[in-house]
Amino acid sequence: MRIVPFFISLVFTAGFFYMLSISHEIDGNRIPPLGKFLDPFHGFWQNIESNNTQPKQEEKLLGAVKDEVIIYHDSLLIPHLFAENDADLYLAQGYVTAMHRLWQMEFQTHAAAGRISEITGAGKNDAVLNYDRGQRRLGMVYAAEKALEGMLSSPASKEAVEQYTKGVNAYIETLSYKDFPFEYKLLDYAPESWTTLKCALLLRSMAQTLNMGDKDIEMTNTLRLFGKEAVDLLFPDREKVGEPIVSKPNQWNFPAISLDGKPLALPEELIQLQQKIPGSDPNTGSNNWAVHGSKTSTGSPMLSSDPHLNLSLPSIWFAIQLKTKNMNVMGASLPGAPHVIIGFTDSVAWAVTNAQRDLVDWYQIKFKDDKKDSYQLDGSWINSKKVIEKFTVRGRETYIDTVIYTHWGPVVYDESYQAEDNLKHYAFRWIAHDVSNESQTFYELNRAKNYQDYMQALNYYSGPAQNFAFASVQGDVAMRVQGKFPIRRKNEGKFVLDGSQTSNGWQAFIPNEQNVMEKNPLRGFVSSANQYPADSTYPYYIHARSFEAYRNRRINEVLGKSNQVKVEDLMQLHSDNYNMKAAESLPYFLSTIGTISALNKAEKKAFDKLSSWDFYYDVDSEGASYYEAWWDALMPLLWDEFDVEKTSLTYPTSYQTIYLLKKYPELKWFDFQSTPEKENAQVILLKAFRESVLQIENWKKDKGFEKVRWADYKDSYIGHLLRVSALNIKVQHGGNHDIVNAHSKTHGPSWRMVSSLEKNGIKTWATYPGGQSGNPGSRYYDRFLSHWTSGRYFELDFMQVIPEQPQQLTIILKPE
Amino acid sequence: MRFFQQLIFILIVSTVLSLWLPWWSIAIAGFLGGAIFHSGKNFLAGFLAIIILWGSMIGWTEWHAASDLTTRVAQIFSLNKPLLIVVTLLIGGIGSGLAALTGSYIRPKKKKNLYY
Repeated sequence: MRIVPFFISLVFTAGFFYMLSISHEIDGNRIPPLGKFLDPFHGFWQNIESNNTQPKQEEKLLGAVKDEVIIYHDSLLIPHLFAENDADLYLAQGYVTAMHRLWQMEFQTHAAAGRISEITGAGKNDAVLNYDRGQRRLGMVYAAEKALEGMLSSPASKEAVEQYTKGVNAYIETLSYKDFPFEYKLLDYAPESWTTLKCALLLRSMAQTLNMGDKDIEMTNTLRLFGKEAVDLLFPDREKVGEPIVSKPNQWNFPAISLDGKPLALPEELIQLQQKIPGSDPNTGSNNWAVHGSKTSTGSPMLSSDPHLNLSLPSIWFAIQLKTKNMNVMGASLPGAPHVIIGFTDSVAWAVTNAQRDLVDWYQIKFKDDKKDSYQLDGSWINSKKVIEKFTVRGRETYIDTVIYTHWGPVVYDESYQAEDNLKHYAFRWIAHDVSNESQTFYELNRAKNYQDYMQALNYYSGPAQNFAFASVQGDVAMRVQGKFPIRRKNEGKFVLDGSQTSNGWQAFIPNEQNVMEKNPLRGFVSSANQYPADSTYPYYIHARSFEAYRNRRINEVLGKSNQVKVEDLMQLHSDNYNMKAAESLPYFLSTIGTISALNKAEKKAFDKLSSWDFYYDVDSEGASYYEAWWDALMPLLWDEFDVEKTSLTYPTSYQTIYLLKKYPELKWFDFQSTPEKENAQVILLKAFRESVLQIENWKKDKGFEKVRWADYKDSYIGHLLRVSALNIKVQHGGNHDIVNAHSKTHGPSWRMVSSLEKNGIKTWATYPGGQSGNPGSRYYDRFLSHWTSGRYFELDFMQVIPEQPQQLTIILKPE
Repeated sequence: MRFFQQLIFILIVSTVLSLWLPWWSIAIAGFLGGAIFHSGKNFLAGFLAIIILWGSMIGWTEWHAASDLTTRVAQIFSLNKPLLIVVTLLIGGIGSGLAALTGSYIRPKKKKNLYY
């Protein structure tokens, strides 16, 4: 043996293998362990699925199941689960969901719980760690613990969540590195055990998406800077736009609960927050409707579901059918939670949109001293509860944060987090911090046979508040705005509140039976699109960040016109690209600048394109691009007063802006601050027009395009959850926010479904922008995408019996 | 001849070990090949064996691929697909070659002067 060369060579070899077996962080980016990752026998190549898959059947012995469970995948990779009992069914749901979506389930719940820096490290400028801290400081884990407490309080929802968890873990146990989903390999980590708390985190994370759009801090700043008059003019509680979800003037026949009319004291020293935790995207909204049999071609009701969310890959929804002797349900489930969330049974179908209502408040806390050990409440000093939050940061020592919990909830912003030293402390009150059991609602909806069952199921539902559209084979259609709504005094919740008095808190909630609802209305359909819920005679004060103004009226217009509604009409309505906002504003915009002759060549061309445009946001439309560019240039010019350094403010809504432009063109707000002259609507519109045309000309030059097609200009994509651009998928599609086909750059229709509730059975068609598999190496990853962009649907195979031949993969779970 | 025996040995042992052990199993195969056969071109034998093995596996995977994940992965590393494959093969080849070289040092050098 040649000792010296041997050891030199050994060191080199060992070093080579070692360096390529660990991951490295370079400039904030994590590089996977290259040897491990690129090895074709174990690395990412193993995630590339083969294209010559024959249908097959596999058996799997599982100690946890009592009886045999059949998991039958159809040709779209939608699993159909046939079980003898609930316990086995939910176990199988956890198992099969993990099989297709494990990485996403874990990543989303890590994100909810503020644990992403465990996977990726602190990120550039600690961005990831700050995100994680924000999640903890909002009390997301606390909220999930409350949700879990609710879930475990009923035997049915308890069994479902516990069995689901067992199923996920049974799947995780079968995995070795070679089988890990792609993203685990890319980021070099391994799945951990699933827990019931993770199911709860997922539901509360959905509540966060849908509830966090409050603008209490922005409104308070507006009040401080511009006064109450400005708030009332620019941010009215109710805009002058008709068609609430339910209109039955003077027929709200119940004794409404009223609180003492004592006006709430606004905190004297108002705050200035530079940077808030980003709230919900204002583009997050949804459509749903149900048409009565008297208006359809079949004489049976039809229902449509169209929730809009941030579109991502792997997809938000996972289609599934669950069948036992006592239940048969199919539809969209959330990966990480049991039950079907939007779907249909043998007899009923339901769909949800966000109710928008303000379920978030901020209370000013007066601490006794800098130690913050106690704070003032009703004239005495109450001890603060300090919670230590530990953050395991990859590649760094553990980060420790202290969050103070008060009577109201956690104090989110303080010296250590996104606020300056002299800022006051505000505690965060959120409905999702209360115990509730939404799982029971879905458990019962999944078994609903008729209208009574639907009403009963919704009684458990607390939040995030939703507009539940309903239809049944018995012929009923209904809408119910369901959630746990605090009874508010006028203006309560619009601004930040004084937290030194418990009387400023939520004292009572609207009883379930007094929520906004209707059944089989005269107009022959129910619909919702995040607009104002009720007519002005509804006896409770209603407030929200904003209510939708355009999609809802377009839907009602289209549904109102026909008495022979067909399934195809409803599909077409999903893809309707007509922009009512443009139709109501553009003619006025053009008329104000039409008198000006001094337009240059490009401006003249844009003017002509806009004049002849039909207000449709189709893929090839150029008018849509010019209008959007104009609008985007207009808003910051009009509302320049709202660009105040180091102050959180928000612009008035599109609807209110257009209303004020048309009605009060000389309004002082339209004067441009930085010029000595006095501008009006006309001057600003022209300035914005010129800027936008220039911007489009530059865009064309940049891209080398002759035309500015809407799909190119919008440049939309479905983004991978990791925000790695190579994993995103670009799409060419019409539509935008404010349009029924609400697909903006990154948000849009996440689950399009149309059900026809015929006497001899329910037929359902659906599509979504992604696919059943969460594996980017699978053909099912984006299987539905081209159908989605082209407005085509798959008829869902709602099985009554198990087909004899496997279509794709059939798994039989057998007791050991 | 010895060289080809060595190459085939590393190829077969790597294939078998890959079924049970992680990626570094090619080091074991290379090491054993180097130690047992001890040809004059130990590094090259290990290098080529893994290029052949990994190359065939990648070829087979790509031939049947239901989706083009490889191109997306290449983009993550700012490479194109052929370059990503070259990088992969070099990693496997160099790793196995180094291991074979190390293994070969276990045996004494064939000394021609023994016969003097």
